[in-house]
Amino acid sequence: MIFTIFKKELKDTLRDRRTIIAMIVIPVLVFPLIMGLITQISSSFEEGQKEEELTIALISEDPGNKLITSLDAIPDSIGPKRFTFMTDTSGIRKLINDDSVQVAISIPSDYDKQIESGKSVPIAVYLKETNIGYKSRIKTYLEIIESSTRSERLAKLSIAEETLDPLNTQFINLSSSKEMIGKLAGGFLPYLFIIFGFIGCLYPAIDLFTGEKERKTLETLLTTPIDRWKILVGKMLVVVTSGIAAASFALFGLFMALNVFELAPNAQIMGVVNSILSLPFIISLYILLIPLTVFFAGVMIPVTISAKSFKEAQSILTPVNFIIILPAMVGFIPGIELDFTTALIPIVNIVLASKELVAGTLSPGLMLLVFGVMFVFAALAVMLSRKRFERESNVIS
Amino acid sequence: MIEVNNVVKTFELSKQQRKENNTSEKIATAVNDISFSCQPGRIFSLLGPNGAGKTTTLRMLAGILKPSEGEVKINGFDIEKKPLEAKKHIGFLTGSTGLYERLTPNEIIAYFGKLYGVTNEVIETRKEELYDLLDMHDFQNKRIGRLSTGMKQKVSICRTMIHDPEVVIFDEPTSGLDVITAENIIKLIRDCKSKNKTVIFSSHIMSEVDLLCDDLAIIHKGKMIFNDSMQSFRDQMKAENLTAEFIRIINEAKQSS
Repeated sequence: MIFTIFKKELKDTLRDRRTIIAMIVIPVLVFPLIMGLITQISSSFEEGQKEEELTIALISEDPGNKLITSLDAIPDSIGPKRFTFMTDTSGIRKLINDDSVQVAISIPSDYDKQIESGKSVPIAVYLKETNIGYKSRIKTYLEIIESSTRSERLAKLSIAEETLDPLNTQFINLSSSKEMIGKLAGGFLPYLFIIFGFIGCLYPAIDLFTGEKERKTLETLLTTPIDRWKILVGKMLVVVTSGIAAASFALFGLFMALNVFELAPNAQIMGVVNSILSLPFIISLYILLIPLTVFFAGVMIPVTISAKSFKEAQSILTPVNFIIILPAMVGFIPGIELDFTTALIPIVNIVLASKELVAGTLSPGLMLLVFGVMFVFAALAVMLSRKRFERESNVIS
Repeated sequence: MIEVNNVVKTFELSKQQRKENNTSEKIATAVNDISFSCQPGRIFSLLGPNGAGKTTTLRMLAGILKPSEGEVKINGFDIEKKPLEAKKHIGFLTGSTGLYERLTPNEIIAYFGKLYGVTNEVIETRKEELYDLLDMHDFQNKRIGRLSTGMKQKVSICRTMIHDPEVVIFDEPTSGLDVITAENIIKLIRDCKSKNKTVIFSSHIMSEVDLLCDDLAIIHKGKMIFNDSMQSFRDQMKAENLTAEFIRIINEAKQSS
């Protein structure tokens, strides 16, 4: 009988355009779109940065000093530039503000002499740091000049460069790239699952309970010779299915973005991601995901049972969404790890466990504990739903 | 057969409800110690003004609400102790019933048939009979959302009768319907009587009651103020017509309370 109810409710739900959008369309499209957009923007930004010709105002009473000749000698492959020469800084602010000059460098008139006598020469660079990329370009130019000047000075003093560099430190990273991604970006995957799992549950939960009350079909359903808990379970299964489907479609979208549209930043990351998305990983992820989604359904359903209208249910559940997202964010905080304490906090434990899962470092004992904790919370939520559903005042308008 | 013995239904009032109703009482009594019985092959009418407790009473008969006191028996089964057995014998139709807008008549009828434990073959035969009777073949595969009120009403009738219930409960079945559509319901009620089913329906429309019913109960503020056959109601009548008599009885009850 539960299956009869499940089948009917699923059919009903799948004919609702809102649910289809929240359950399939958005989850599938979100990753290809976001990743495509980011790749597009960042690459076009980089291109633009590299090719943009900077007009640099050189302010010095000696336009033939060594700094200017060295600057001129830097090849355009590091960024095209052209110079205008000025003798003082007056008016420079206006020129930079109206963008006829992007950067101004003020060089003392006795630059060559000071360099010759081994002094540190003050150089002032005027620019607007709101124009991202200019500062780093000028820094690169000046570092080239500084480095060659340093080498000349050391040669003159007959000092080998190693003398000033007594430690030659090398860091050897023993973390596999899988672990690196797991610890750094692993929080992203559970976050995604939690968000989409929640959104996927939301519409069916409102539609199948508040909606049925609002459309006055619930009364008839309750006159049928079916135990109320069976009606609840049949409906709840549809809510859970929808949540899991939304999360799965998001995963599918991510997979498509990486594989079919080749939106990964580079081939190495691509390989690592593919090795993470193995069958055992996916199975373990679902083991964690199912009690989580049941928990979501169990939290939402009591609200949607007592709400009198779609709007009321929605306005109560939107803040709940934020409460769910906050612990999901914990996944992004570095340093918080899964242990016997964090494993007891619902949602947080799922985020941390999935992170470990991505990194391949999740111990079976902790996974069992996380599953057990989520199972208990899910069961409590289901019991609360049942109690609410049995209450006459909640069911009859 | 419906037996109702000393049934009371009270509701707890929330703070807000108390404020709205301008009362300090924590408990509201919707139905106050009523008893009656409905016999097979007879049409029983529950009459009363708005808010008298008609819907609450019928919801208790249908097993949607539990009586606070007293007992309800449907074909001998206590609705509280054996709810599933009792409910199998009931068909329930209200004027305000909604239908699943995204499903088709065929899907809804099959769904409710299965919920009542009717086998697929029986569902098919009954469906054909009802579709013939109500002339529903043309729109059986159209979604409910695209049907007219009259068509929807036919689907509701079909849904109510698919398990061939012995007891049929109608809660203001014709409210909001035009006369042509209401005629389907009147026909259905008469048809139930001819098939020896037990029928109870609530109404506040005297002409409808006059047309159909064999036995009559009038309730006011949750209390039974008249319970006898329609014939004896006519015989005892003091006002010039049925509606006037109904108003007279209600007013009398108001004064004595």
